[in-house]
Amino acid sequence: METNETRKTLLEVKDLRTYFKTDAGVVKAVDGISFKLSQGETLGIVGESGSGKSVTNLSIMRLIQSPPGKIVGGEILFEGDDILKVPESELRSIRGNKISMIFQDPMTSLNPFLKISTQMVETILLHQDMSKKEALKKSIDMLKLVGIPAAEERIHSYPHQFSGGMRQRVMIAMALSCEAKILIADEPTTALDVTIQAQILELIQELAQKLDTAVILITHDLGVVAGLCDTVCVMYAGKIVEKANTDELYARPSHPYTDGLIKSVPRLDKAQNGKLFSIEGQPPNVIDLPPCCPFHPRCSRKMEICTKQYPPVVDLGKGHEVACWLYAENKENSTDE
Amino acid sequence: MTKYVIRRLLGIIPTLLVIITISFFIVRVAPGGPFDGERALPEVIKKNIEAKYHFDDPLVVQYGRYMFDVLRGDLGPSYRYKDHDVNFYIFQSLPNSMILGVIAISISIIFGISSGMLAAVKQNTWVDYLGMAFAIIGISVPLFVIGPILQYIFAMRLGWFPTSGWITGDNGWITVILPAVTLSASNFGTIARLTRSSMLETLRSDYIRTAKAKGMRSSVILFKHAMKGAMLPIVSYLGPAFAGIITGSVVVEQVFRVPGLGKFFVQSSFNRDYTLIVGVVIVYSVILVFMNFIVDIVYSLLDPRITYK
Amino acid sequence: MIFKKKNNTAAINEFNQEIAGNSLTKDAWRRLRKNKMAVISLVVVIIYILLAVLAPILPIYPYDEIILDHQHLPPSFTKNAGELLMEKRLADLYTQAWRQGNLELTEEEDDMLWEWIDSNEVNKVWDYMYEKGNAMVAEGSYTLSSYEQRRIDSLEEDIRTELQITLKDVWYRADSGSERVKLTSLDTDEILAAYAQLVNISAEDQKTQYMKEIEQQVLREIKERTPDLSDEEYEILLNQEFNDMSESRLNTLIRSNVLVKLNNAIRSVGLRNLKDAAEDGTMEFPLEEEISISETISATIKASKVHERQYYLGTDYQGRDMLSRIIYGGQVSIAIGFVGTITSVLIGIILGALAGYLGGKVDYIIMRIVDIMYGLPYMLLVIIAMAIFGRNILNLFFALAIISWLTVSRMVRGQIMSLKNQEFIEAARSMGAPTRRIIFKHLVPNSLSVIIVFSTLRIPSFIMTESFLSFLGLGVQAPFASWGSLVGDGVTGMTLYPWKLFFPALVMTIFLFAMNFLGDGLRDAFDPQSKNQL
Repeated sequence: METNETRKTLLEVKDLRTYFKTDAGVVKAVDGISFKLSQGETLGIVGESGSGKSVTNLSIMRLIQSPPGKIVGGEILFEGDDILKVPESELRSIRGNKISMIFQDPMTSLNPFLKISTQMVETILLHQDMSKKEALKKSIDMLKLVGIPAAEERIHSYPHQFSGGMRQRVMIAMALSCEAKILIADEPTTALDVTIQAQILELIQELAQKLDTAVILITHDLGVVAGLCDTVCVMYAGKIVEKANTDELYARPSHPYTDGLIKSVPRLDKAQNGKLFSIEGQPPNVIDLPPCCPFHPRCSRKMEICTKQYPPVVDLGKGHEVACWLYAENKENSTDE
Repeated sequence: MTKYVIRRLLGIIPTLLVIITISFFIVRVAPGGPFDGERALPEVIKKNIEAKYHFDDPLVVQYGRYMFDVLRGDLGPSYRYKDHDVNFYIFQSLPNSMILGVIAISISIIFGISSGMLAAVKQNTWVDYLGMAFAIIGISVPLFVIGPILQYIFAMRLGWFPTSGWITGDNGWITVILPAVTLSASNFGTIARLTRSSMLETLRSDYIRTAKAKGMRSSVILFKHAMKGAMLPIVSYLGPAFAGIITGSVVVEQVFRVPGLGKFFVQSSFNRDYTLIVGVVIVYSVILVFMNFIVDIVYSLLDPRITYK
Repeated sequence: MIFKKKNNTAAINEFNQEIAGNSLTKDAWRRLRKNKMAVISLVVVIIYILLAVLAPILPIYPYDEIILDHQHLPPSFTKNAGELLMEKRLADLYTQAWRQGNLELTEEEDDMLWEWIDSNEVNKVWDYMYEKGNAMVAEGSYTLSSYEQRRIDSLEEDIRTELQITLKDVWYRADSGSERVKLTSLDTDEILAAYAQLVNISAEDQKTQYMKEIEQQVLREIKERTPDLSDEEYEILLNQEFNDMSESRLNTLIRSNVLVKLNNAIRSVGLRNLKDAAEDGTMEFPLEEEISISETISATIKASKVHERQYYLGTDYQGRDMLSRIIYGGQVSIAIGFVGTITSVLIGIILGALAGYLGGKVDYIIMRIVDIMYGLPYMLLVIIAMAIFGRNILNLFFALAIISWLTVSRMVRGQIMSLKNQEFIEAARSMGAPTRRIIFKHLVPNSLSVIIVFSTLRIPSFIMTESFLSFLGLGVQAPFASWGSLVGDGVTGMTLYPWKLFFPALVMTIFLFAMNFLGDGLRDAFDPQSKNQL
């Protein structure tokens, strides 16, 4: 949106690379991605499973399991400081306080052995100067805010006594209890019933606006992105293949992959002879990938060069960036490189 | 909860009945003892024995009497020792075995859990390797090898401990150490490995990731968030651990000459003193069954997800 | 993926990456090979199995050959039994001389030796006295008394001349013209006659003597079976036994009796004949030749000098070779481990598969039995069974197999319950495959990898259990050995003869380590998801 330029940049990811060492070889789960997030903005990251969306965000929190994972390069600037370089103690004051996270599976993300109250109060006590009593009150308020009925009593329950949707609400309440500046929501609705999904997404949107929190929403569902996000990054095989603001992306999907994704969303208004569009094939194994566009085997507009070299990022204007040989100007020259 | 406890207690009954029944029939069919097995004894001898041990009654009556006696806590006369009955010998030696067993299981739990945790936290460092090396020694080396070797090194060569003897003797409590350490070895190994693997798994779990994302200190994560979940497999291992302690004590008491139930058990099985053997087995089984019961209760207290239906 | 096969040798995907086959076994094997400990363990296990299997043809002494002179000889690679005996004798003589005051040492040395004796370290005293005494004799500060010299000389003589004779065959020749035949091919009366002729007593006297001996033998057997009876009772039993005894059984008893006697007689004659030869050194030992014992009897014998034997791992309390006992003991232990595991796994598979597949009442009953048996202190039941039904390998084996199928059956049941509802089973059923076929062709093979891994981990615990019983004296009985019984024997007198404990313990421990590592390796290879669960 236009306001992007005027608002302060909160988070800037520059050329982030996160690799995993496995028996079969090095998995380049995230391989050189960059994006910016401004205050109050909602950024969507879209891609198939295994495209590196979650790894990107775990990298931002430095939560990659090591070994086997390792952030091998790049910078993550949060309020000007590189998160990758701050000491552990300082990192802890960022985690859960300034950047918090909601995970995909609410069934396993809450500690089954601790009461909800314990889990919420400890977070607040950790980051805010409050007494236990105040913290408990704040927790109850947060639970009310996310729409948990009879929060005063239910806060003393164990997670297994809640339904999936309710647990995700608890997660959101917990994540926002310290008024974080950035909320990372890693496929927050994938594990939930369809009817609950919309509620949860609305809740996130509503609270983000209320608390002026920037949101990174990770999803594989373009429909979700359309409704919620200001900007969208499309990831494929560890790289961002297209980045644009939402309206622009839908109006002018430039990468063949984005195009395919948008076409494959089932739409009632554009039902074409009853058949859904699908992209043939599967995403590649990202181990030891040769230099080429990783999408070329599935691409309908493949060219010779696509099999030899990774395409450069081309700016199509208005912050619309795409990595595809279709838009590169000097194809011939770059082959010589 | 109370209902659950009562139901579990009721569940113990059939097991105990089976144990007593098996014991009865083992004694009944045992050849070579005072009982007539497969071979036809001459009338004279047969009559003598039958008169002495009431074997002229029908089998059902005998079974009933035996069951009644055992349930009353009377394990019958010893066939070997004429002076006292089985109860006397058991009550004489049981406390010694209990002391040994309790110390051994405490050692294995305390050291097993702490070295397992340490190994998990310092995964793939020398601490981990050292801890796991000890664990695998405990698991792989039979205690009848560990026992004599400890005895050889620490008692005979270094002279730090007496070679054998028991608390009641001159040497006092120091005599407990070597037998208890020997007896704890295998359980220590298993518990250490279980703790390590279960801790590692818990530390990889989603809710630990959540705790990290909340900015918790790693020590808090370890003890407050991970500990409880990681301890569940260890608690459920405790049942077999008790069984292992009981079987192990048979050998350890032999090696270190502890005047306990196990030594009695071996002796009486050499003497073919069947009532004494069976008496000891019944006592062991009752202990074991109750330990399993307690373990179950502890487990259900630890895991809030278990409902007492 | 879209596979474009470029050539026949390797499949390649669209990125020119080679596609590796990933069948479960191949994958598992690859992972196993990466695990260094597991590979080393596999090699170790194979070596052990080879040694156990090849034991009869290995150049080792028989495991049950008792040579009482060679009691408790220490292990040595360089010295043979004779040299060790001589060392022992010298050390003994010097020590005695020292204690009697004939051999004088400095005060510090005295103190040191007494300290050793007080702390029960007699071996050190002997070693020290041997070295010291030899040195003193060499420099002339101590001269051996005539008594000591005599003791040394007599031992030397023994070492030079004592022979060990094994009878290979005994031949019988009725008269000089006829063909010789093997003695064992004759019938009992003929053997009796031959023996009577050899020792020069009437066949009648002989017979009464045999009958007495056989009576004693039978009585011993009866006493073993039913102890604790009065003498009259035994007499009744004995008479009864003889009344019941068939003609052929009596015949066999007599026959084996006389054969033992005959062999002993022949051995002593052979020994007498060869001893002179050994003394003058006219014959080379070891030898194998036929010697004639009397006019009618001749024998092929093998003779070697007893004290030239070498014991690499020392000997036990009856002078048996530890090396060979450990190898044969390993044979027993490993065999029980493997066969026992296989049996218990088979029982477990059958019952578990039935419970899992049939479900309902069958399942309920089997699983209740398993539950209850789990609650029993089963090792103790095994001990009882061994005490009651007799201590032999077969009973031990049965007792172990019967109690150890529980876990397998639970595991197989669980596996099958989860597989049962899968589509390929539905498909088989819908095509009319009979239950038995579905179980054994579809369900069991699909849970096989889990079973294999479990079995591998099961073997060491089986071996441990067996050894545990043998250690207590309730398992394998002498002259047979197993690792457990060897360790059990070694425990007595371990300060004086540490090798008796050390070697079997070491050998057993290495094997158990290897099996555990191999099992862990296999589990990790077959099921990388399960971390280090037990």
